[in-house]
Amino acid sequence: MTNEETNAKDKSTYLPLIITVGLAIFLLGLAIYIPLIIAGLVIIIASVFKLFKDGAKERFADSKEADEEKYPLESVPKEKLGLWIFLASEILIFGSLIVAYGYVRVNSSSWPIATQTHNVLLGMTNTIILLTSSLAMILALVSIKAGNVRGLKLSLNGAFALGFTFLVIKLGFEWPTLFRNGFTINSGLPASSYFVLTGLHTMHVAVGLVAIGYLMFRTYQGGFTSTKHVAVENVGLYWHFVDIVWMFLFPLFYLI
Amino acid sequence: MAGIKLYIGIWLGLVFATIMEVVIRSLPGAASLFVLIIMLIASVKAIAISLYYQNLRHEGIRLATLPIAAVVGIVFLAVSAAMTMSMGM
Repeated sequence: MTNEETNAKDKSTYLPLIITVGLAIFLLGLAIYIPLIIAGLVIIIASVFKLFKDGAKERFADSKEADEEKYPLESVPKEKLGLWIFLASEILIFGSLIVAYGYVRVNSSSWPIATQTHNVLLGMTNTIILLTSSLAMILALVSIKAGNVRGLKLSLNGAFALGFTFLVIKLGFEWPTLFRNGFTINSGLPASSYFVLTGLHTMHVAVGLVAIGYLMFRTYQGGFTSTKHVAVENVGLYWHFVDIVWMFLFPLFYLI
Repeated sequence: MAGIKLYIGIWLGLVFATIMEVVIRSLPGAASLFVLIIMLIASVKAIAISLYYQNLRHEGIRLATLPIAAVVGIVFLAVSAAMTMSMGM
């Protein structure tokens, strides 16, 4: 066994596979049997906890690959490359759902008027909130690149507060009003398509908030400097993507 | 500081474009034309966020190929759906 093979074996872990199984059980629970959601969540949380306890950073910090293995993206750091591959898959997921939505909508003989079903003012407010949150995230990156930790803290707090406000408006005001008006996920194609797409987006916002919360935690522990801030950049890329998706969902559901 | 000014300028442009979408929707006229204009504005906003906030304009074409390939895939899917509809399937 060569040194490289020994090194790879030491760093190997089954936990990503177990996390995937947990996620599959969670999704199965959503579809057929609610208690499975809890079982799936327990598996995911326990596996992630174990992963971090075992030292996730060391396990995934592999020795530098030879350049030819990374061609044609040898100049891109592997964390960023991984994140962009993930974002490309997200584009495919949201894009497919949006195309499917357009297809059923064009083929439907009747469709409720968007401005009468949804509150345009709340939708516009949420759009501006997400845009401002994106601005806060990019200012967080600018701040830490300049070594300004106080600016980073302020920007991350702002981004988190705005993202949380988006969720409060969506889940605390918009959806309850729609439910009261009989616009529920079971009340037909217009409603189910709305709740599937905006629900998936809302889940992404919630995941983004967890990631920003993690950045805030690390910031208060002094985990970022002007030369060490990859996590801030990568969470920012994800947060801007969530923003981009909403740029399409807002006009599709609230204006057209 | 120049960077911060640029990002705030982009944010102002995005907010203005969002308000314009709502204003255009409330105007009287051909609905199909407004749909086209509104979706065009949404696309411009998405591209602006990608180029400036996600910094794709400085990442080089090789990395940009990843999201572009995914978008091209979605465009193919949309064209296929449109063709299916036009054939009455």
